[in-house]
Amino acid sequence: MDVLLQTLLNGAAAGGVYALVALGYTLVFSVLGVINFAQGALFSLGGYLTYLLMGGHISVSGGLPGWGLPIALPFAAALLLAAAGAALLSLLVERLAFAPLRRRNAEPLLSLITSLGAGLVLVNLLQLLMGAEGYAFPAGSLAGLPAVVSLGGARIRSVQVLLLLICAAVVLLLTLWLEGSRGGRALRAVAEDPTTARLLGIDSDAMVRLAFLLSGALAGLGGGLVGVSVSLPGPYFGIGYGLKGLTVLVLGGLGSVPGAIAGGLLMGLAEAMVPSGASGWRDALAFAILFVVLLLRPSGLLGRRLVEKV
Amino acid sequence: MRRCSAGLAAAIGALVLIGQQSDPAAQRIQQGGDLTIGAVIALTGNANLYGQDQRLGINLAQRWFDGRPRTAGSPAPPRLRLQLEDGGSDEATAIAGFNLLINGGALALIGPTLSQQAFAADPIAQRLGVPVVAPSNTAQGIPQIGHYISRVSAQSSVIAPLSLEEALRRDPSIRRVAVFYAQDDAYSTAETEIFQEALAARNLNPVTVQRTQLADNDFQTPITAALQRNPQLVVISVQAVAGGNLIRQLRELGYRGQIVVGNGLNTPNIYPICQRWCDGILIAQAYSPDLDTPINRTFLRLHQGVNPEQPPSQMTAQAFTAYQVLAEAITRLQQQGRLQGANLGQARSRLMQELLSGSYDTPLGPIRFRADGEVLQDRFFVAEVRMQPDGRRGRFALVRDLSLASKPATSPPERGSP
Repeated sequence: MDVLLQTLLNGAAAGGVYALVALGYTLVFSVLGVINFAQGALFSLGGYLTYLLMGGHISVSGGLPGWGLPIALPFAAALLLAAAGAALLSLLVERLAFAPLRRRNAEPLLSLITSLGAGLVLVNLLQLLMGAEGYAFPAGSLAGLPAVVSLGGARIRSVQVLLLLICAAVVLLLTLWLEGSRGGRALRAVAEDPTTARLLGIDSDAMVRLAFLLSGALAGLGGGLVGVSVSLPGPYFGIGYGLKGLTVLVLGGLGSVPGAIAGGLLMGLAEAMVPSGASGWRDALAFAILFVVLLLRPSGLLGRRLVEKV
Repeated sequence: MRRCSAGLAAAIGALVLIGQQSDPAAQRIQQGGDLTIGAVIALTGNANLYGQDQRLGINLAQRWFDGRPRTAGSPAPPRLRLQLEDGGSDEATAIAGFNLLINGGALALIGPTLSQQAFAADPIAQRLGVPVVAPSNTAQGIPQIGHYISRVSAQSSVIAPLSLEEALRRDPSIRRVAVFYAQDDAYSTAETEIFQEALAARNLNPVTVQRTQLADNDFQTPITAALQRNPQLVVISVQAVAGGNLIRQLRELGYRGQIVVGNGLNTPNIYPICQRWCDGILIAQAYSPDLDTPINRTFLRLHQGVNPEQPPSQMTAQAFTAYQVLAEAITRLQQQGRLQGANLGQARSRLMQELLSGSYDTPLGPIRFRADGEVLQDRFFVAEVRMQPDGRRGRFALVRDLSLASKPATSPPERGSP
């Protein structure tokens, strides 16, 4: 029983992060119909920003060896500021990689390439500044929390529980905001039909910018949370999470917020269920699930079937 | 018809001439000119952590070589120029780097960083007759790619079991061993085989083998599974950052037994990751900062000038050594006048002969080469990580200095304090 609980908690914590990344993709996809490949880089950025805001210093192989911010914020404040920083950079990505193409009515495929380019530039800039070393947050980052908590006989690192709770809270808040607020409804209207939304007086461009801000903030949050949980293994670490988030996006259904959440949790739980001796095959399993789901439901778990009008 | 044939022959002749002129191997070495040593190391991608250590080692060696005092009346040393190319962390980028440097007229090459890159890129150098010194390829079969391929990094099979012996010496009652390794990494899978063979030779069958992936950093699930088997010893073969995370999470989840790690964690870069939880892990090394020899003292001094915070890593020392052996072999060639009048192809061939025939006093200790390019190194070390109270800095404290040529040192030299 405790093994099952342990597995469920492990899976839910991982799935929560996947859901955050996938939600970021979903927001942009729903308003623009394109995928922002810079999302993984923004995830990395969130991790590094959190580290620096908590008083971390750049290593000797970084661009500014030994440099650090003159402040050392508590984790919660650093995480929120890092999310804000990633959100602003996401907006910059929108301005540089998406907006010019949108103005010229370019093929959506082109913005995949420009966003991929923006992501690669960002990751390389991170490497230039921070170096290639791994960074871990100080041991007392989560002051007051024990290293491990016991839940029903299962031992789980308390940072994992925290990660799960924060992911759940963010997902819940975002869903409530999308469903219940004026801004959320406007965003959904643009996602549904940009032309009609414009006729109703909704500023589509502002909604696109809002979608990028929110998706950047989600990526930044994810990066900071993973950073405090398992360290920052190098500037490329967000790319892996970005790819996993992309899988979850397709699995849950393109553009579906509940689908992104369900897909993230399914992916995390499925990975955790892989027998321990075969844990190295987790990625293969993730893509096998994707393959099977897409065979059975080409629109994803909770995605809507697209009907093309001719 | 005859005019046509003559034109064709002239065209072919011109092409052959142009081809010869553009073949760098056919170019004559300029007396007193620069000789290029090329280096292809991982400055981007997953292995860039190692590449940055290696870049530092090569740069320090260059500084050491250029700054060596000249004895009066001795001939001027060769003018060596270092050309560094990013080999990425994949085979294609390493191949591109090799091609670029070879076609650019490099006399010899250092690199690439990863063994699996070497299996792809080294055959190109071998085919074109360009000497290669590998600073960090430890997989079996690298020098056997061809007679132009050598390495200064001893094979895992020689080093890895030494730390296991130390763990079992400390606690002979160990019966339950858990093994972790990255199954999608050629180096890690090769090393775990060596560890597991060494365990089997001591009648110790692992109670669990946990396979992870190169990019993994959250090990909660495999650790939980392993700890249910109550291991007394954990043996890890993964790369640096993942290994640091694995150790930290093992300790956080309550494992208190000994931990033996492989060469992938042979870098001080793990300290910031596993912090105070790194304390006590055992590792076998081909380099120890505690080695008290003049060349190692010089190396340590140069390193301290760049990074006073940490002692050099094995990767840095091996990269230093790779440049050093090439620079010394080239110097000897020049002093013997064997570069005079030679073209680049001949110089490369002579350099390879000279490289293999020499013996070298390096930061790793005295080394020489077997005829097939395999390094012959007698001294190896077992170290234990000792972290400082701040949990951010630490050192590989030497616990055993082993000479494989003679009997191992009997008592562990305890140097320094935690």
